[in-house]
Amino acid sequence: MAGNLWKPYSRVPLLGWFFGALVAVTLERLAGAPLAQFLGLQKIPVLFGFSDMLKTPVSIPNVLLYLLAVYVVPAAAVTRLGASPANGIAAALYRFPMAVTAAVHLALLYAVLHVWAGASDYRVLVLRLTLIAVMLTLSLNVINGYMGEFSCSHPGFMALGAYCASVLTIGLFVDAELFGAASLSPALGRFLFPVALVLGGLLASFGGLFVAIPSFRTRGDYLAIISLAFLFIVKSLIENLEFVRGPRGLSGQPDWADLPTVFLWTVLCVWSVNNFVRSTIGKALNAVRDNEMAADAMTVDTRKTKIAAFLFGAFWAGVAGGLFAHVMRYVNPGNFGIQNLAEVLAMVYFGGLNSVYGSIVGAVSISLLGEALRPLEIFKWIIIPLLLILVMIFRPTGLIAFRDLDVASLLKPKANPGEGG
Amino acid sequence: MRTRSWVAVCVLAGGLAFFLSGTVQAQTIKIGINAELTGDIPKVGEGTKYAAQMWLDDVRAAGGLAVKGKKYPVELILEDNESKAESAVKAATKMITEDGVLVMVGPQASKQAVPAGGIANNYKTPMITPWSTNPDSTKNRPYVFRACFLDPFQGPVLANFITSEFKFKKAAVLYDVASDYPKGLAEFFKKAWEGLHGPGSVVAYESFTTKDTDFSSQLTKIKNSGAQVLFTPQYYNEVALIVQQAHQLGWKNPIVGSDSWGSAETVKLCGKDCYGLFFSTHYAAAGATGATKAFIDRYKAKYGYVPDDVAALTWDAMHLVQKAIQDTGGLTGDLKKDRENVRAAMGRIKKFKGITGEMTFSGGGDPSKCAVIVRISDKGQFEFYKSACP
Amino acid sequence: MAVFLQNLVNALQWGSFYALIALGYSMVYSILMLFNFAHGDIFMVGSYIGVGVSMALIALSAWGNVVLPNWLILVLTILFSMFLTSFVGMIVERVGYRPLRNAPRASAAITGLMIGIILETGNLALLGARRVSFPSLIATATYDLGGVFVTNKKIMIVLVSLLLALALHQFVRRTKWGMAIRAMAFDFSVVPLMGVPLNRMIALTFALGSALAAAAGILFGVAYPVLDPYMGILFGWKAFVAAILGGRGSIMGATLAGFLLGFTEIFVAMIFPSTLRDLIAYSIILLILTVRPHGFFGEPYSARLRL
Repeated sequence: MAGNLWKPYSRVPLLGWFFGALVAVTLERLAGAPLAQFLGLQKIPVLFGFSDMLKTPVSIPNVLLYLLAVYVVPAAAVTRLGASPANGIAAALYRFPMAVTAAVHLALLYAVLHVWAGASDYRVLVLRLTLIAVMLTLSLNVINGYMGEFSCSHPGFMALGAYCASVLTIGLFVDAELFGAASLSPALGRFLFPVALVLGGLLASFGGLFVAIPSFRTRGDYLAIISLAFLFIVKSLIENLEFVRGPRGLSGQPDWADLPTVFLWTVLCVWSVNNFVRSTIGKALNAVRDNEMAADAMTVDTRKTKIAAFLFGAFWAGVAGGLFAHVMRYVNPGNFGIQNLAEVLAMVYFGGLNSVYGSIVGAVSISLLGEALRPLEIFKWIIIPLLLILVMIFRPTGLIAFRDLDVASLLKPKANPGEGG
Repeated sequence: MRTRSWVAVCVLAGGLAFFLSGTVQAQTIKIGINAELTGDIPKVGEGTKYAAQMWLDDVRAAGGLAVKGKKYPVELILEDNESKAESAVKAATKMITEDGVLVMVGPQASKQAVPAGGIANNYKTPMITPWSTNPDSTKNRPYVFRACFLDPFQGPVLANFITSEFKFKKAAVLYDVASDYPKGLAEFFKKAWEGLHGPGSVVAYESFTTKDTDFSSQLTKIKNSGAQVLFTPQYYNEVALIVQQAHQLGWKNPIVGSDSWGSAETVKLCGKDCYGLFFSTHYAAAGATGATKAFIDRYKAKYGYVPDDVAALTWDAMHLVQKAIQDTGGLTGDLKKDRENVRAAMGRIKKFKGITGEMTFSGGGDPSKCAVIVRISDKGQFEFYKSACP
Repeated sequence: MAVFLQNLVNALQWGSFYALIALGYSMVYSILMLFNFAHGDIFMVGSYIGVGVSMALIALSAWGNVVLPNWLILVLTILFSMFLTSFVGMIVERVGYRPLRNAPRASAAITGLMIGIILETGNLALLGARRVSFPSLIATATYDLGGVFVTNKKIMIVLVSLLLALALHQFVRRTKWGMAIRAMAFDFSVVPLMGVPLNRMIALTFALGSALAAAAGILFGVAYPVLDPYMGILFGWKAFVAAILGGRGSIMGATLAGFLLGFTEIFVAMIFPSTLRDLIAYSIILLILTVRPHGFFGEPYSARLRL
C-alpha cells in the first residue's frame, strides 16, 4: 500500500518537490492564520507545532490536522500532479549550463525558505542560526570526517573569525566608544561586509596553521589534545585582550547578517566544500585517513593535504563565526567553549561522516530538535543525548555517511518527458 | 470506510479542542521568563524560576492582576536559555514574536542578557534583567531595565568602607578573569582604591578562570605581597573555597566581598572560615525585617533553602513589572501600545520599595539603589553593618 | 624559597587529582584504544556518591550508638564509594561502549560525551541545582613549617593518591588479571583466543578506572568541599590532556603527567601574571607535544585510526 502510494513520487524531480513546498508555504501565508484560528490554535504552529503539542497535549489532533491541511496534502498533490510538467521544465533547464540550472533551483529553494520564514521572525532567526550550524558542521566534517582526525579546535577558529569580523565592522562602520568614530559610512558597509567575513576566515585559517603544523608529526589522540590546547589558548587570549573588552564581550555589530546573506554564504560554503572533497585533494584526504604511510608511498603529498584541509576547514569555521557574531550582534569568549565543541561534534557524527548530505542533515536536525523540545526544559538534555547514543549504536558512522553530493544527478529530470510521465 | 472514520475522529477532536480553547479566551497578561535552567549556572535559573512562580502564586491567589479595577489572568512563559547566548536570543525572539509576551524578565547573566536585550529593544518590548551588571545590557536601549546596581557604584563603596573602617593602605584583589561580573567589579575597585591611596596601592591583582577550584598559587602570591586586605568579588561557591584556602595558607587579614556573596549558601559551604568577614550587598538576610523577611521565610518553607540574591532580585523584578503594568492606567489590548505604555511606566517608577532596597529609575534603565555593608556574625548570620547610598 | 616550597606543596595536591583521573583514562585506553569521555562525569558521580555514603555512615553511627571515629568514616566512605562507582563505570561500558566495539573510535567518543551530558543533566534533574557541600569529616590542621603552610588534608591527599597509583601499578604487574590486561593491551585480537574473557576484562578496566575517579572525587570533596553537577567537565578534559601527555596507556606516564600538568598550572600562575595562566600553560603543552609528539612514555604512533 505504502509502496503504491510512493511509486509516483519516485519519478518527481527535485524541482517538482520545490514547487510543491512553495505551494504549501504560500498557502500557509495566505490561509494559515485563519485555519489555525479555526482549529483552535492561537497562532500558526511555528516550528511544525512541536512546542504546542508538548505544551498542551490536547491540541495534538488539531496541530496534526493543520500540518496535514497546510503542508502534507497540498505539497503531495502539487508534487504528484505537477510531476510531468516539472520533469519537462527540469529537462529544459538541464540543457543549460549547470550553473544556470543550479541557480534556478537555489532561487526556488530560497523562495520556499523566505516565504516559510516570513510568517514569523522567530522562524527567520532559527533558520539563520541553523544555516550557520550547517556551515560549521560541514567545515568540521572536512577535518574530522574526510581526513579522520579528531579536531577539538573548531570553536577556537569560530571565535577568531567572529572577533576579527566584529572588530572590522564595529571599528569601521559603527560609531562605537571603543574604537572612536566610524571612519567609513555604513552605506558602504553592506558591500564590505563580505570582505570582513573573508578576513575573519583568513585569520581563522592562520590559527589553523598552529594545529596543522604539529599534525605533520602526529595524529589521532595527540592531535586531539593539541587542538584542545589551541582552543584553551584562543579563549584565554581573547579574555586577556583589552581592546576587544575581554570577557565583557563586543556588542553593537551592525545587523547585516540577514537571511539572504546567510543563505548565500551557506550555499557558497556547501558548493566549495563539495568541490573540495570531490577534487584530487579531497581524495587525498581520504587516502591520508585510511592509511597515511600508504598514501605517502603513493605520492600523495600528506603535508600539503593536511595543511589544505586545516586551512580550508578553519576558513569556513571563521566565516561562520563572523556570521554568528552578526546574527547575535554580540560576542563573548564564553560563547566558544567546550559546550559549543560538544554540540558541533554531535552534529557531525549524528549526520554522518564523510558526507555533505550528512552534515546538512545533522546540523538541521539537531538545531531543530533543540528548538522543538524546548518545553521539556531540563529533560531536553537527556532526550537529545539518548537519541544520539541510539544513532551511534545502530549507525556508528552517522545517519548518512560516506555519500557524495552529486549536483548533476540531483538536478536531473527523473523521467523522460517523452514517455508521457 | 476506515479513512472516513479517521476523518470523522479528527474533525471531532478538533472541534472539541476548539471548544475547549474557546472558553478561556479572556485577555491574559503574558510575562516571559528567560532563565538559565541548564548549562553553566543552573542554580541561577532555578532561583529565577522559583521566585517567579512564587509571584505567580500570589497573583493567582488574588484572582489575577488588577489593572485599573479589572482583573487579568497572568501566564508565565518560561524558557530555558541553556546558559548560551544563541539560545537566549532564540528564546527571547520566540516569546516576543510567537507567545506575545508583554514583558520579558531575564536573562540573568550578562553573556545572555546583552544579546537578548538587543532583541527586546528591536521589538520594542520591555525587558528587565534582575542580575546582569554589565553596562552594555541597558546602554542605549530604552526598553531594557535592570533591578541590580552597577559595578561603577559598588567598587568605590567598598574601597571607601575598607579605608574608613580598617585604615588600610595596601589591598589585594582576586577575581575570575573569564567572567565579566567579577572582572568589572575588580577593575572598578582597583580604580577607586588607587584613587584613594595612590597608584601601586593595589599590591596584588590576581585572577583565575571560571570553574577553577584551586587558588593556592594566587593566594600564595597575595600573601607575600604585603597586602592588608583581600577583596574578592566572587560567587558564593568560589568564596567558600577562596576563604578556606587563604586561611590554610596562613592568611589572617580581613577578606572583603561584594553582593555576589549574598547567598545563604555562602556560610553553609564556607563554615566558620567566613565568620567575621564583610561584604556589600542589596539586602541582609539575617536581621531582615518586613517584606524581605517574609519573602525569605516563604521561599525557605517552599523550596527548602534560603534564597540567594538572584531569587530576591527576580522577586523585585517581578514586582517592578507588576507595578509598571498597574501604573499604565489600563491595558488597551493592543500589544504594541501596551508594551510601550509599560516601558514608559517602568521608566517613571520612583522610590519603589523592593526587598533588595529602594529603587528609582531616572531616565535610563539602571536604578539608583543603596548598598548595605553586611558582616557575617559569629553565628554565621548576615548582620546589617552600614549603608551607603549613591 | 618559601614561596617556591609553598607552591610545590600546592602543586603536589593539585596534581594528584589530575593524576588519579588521568589514570582512569589510561586504563581504558590501554585496552580499547579509546578515551572514555564520560570519565570526568564519573568523577562527579563518584563525588556525589561519596557525599551520600558518608552522610549515611554518619547517620548510621548516630543511630546505632556505635561511635565511629571520623577518620574511619572517611576511609569507609572512600572504599564504599569506589566500590559503588565501579558499577557506574561498568554500566557506562555496557550501555555506551560495548555495542560500539567494532565501530569507529570517534563514534564511541561521541557516545561517551553524550553519556556524560546525561549524567550531568540527570543529576541536575534529580538533586536540583543546589551546590552540595561535602561533609567535613576531618578538621583542618595547619602546620607552619618556616613560612610554608601545610595542612593535614594536603598530606593525606598526596599520600592517598600516590598509594592508589602504586596499588594500581602492583595490580597490573603482579596479579593474573593485571597480566591479562597487559596482554590484551599488547594484542587485542589474539589474547581472547587464549581463553581470556574479553568482556569481563574490559569491564574490569572500566571498574578500576571509575573506582580511581571516585577516590579522586572524594579527595576533591575533602579539599574543595563545593560540588556541582558540571564540576567534571573541565576537570575531565584537562585530565584527558594529562593522560595523553603521559603516553597512551602508561600508568607511570599518566601519574607523572598528571602531576606535571598541576605543576605547570601552579607555577605559571606563580611566575607570570595569573590572568595569562591558561594561555601560557597550554602554550607550553602545545610546545611539548610539537617537540615530543608522542608524549613522555608513548611509542611513536604508527597504528592508524580504526575508522
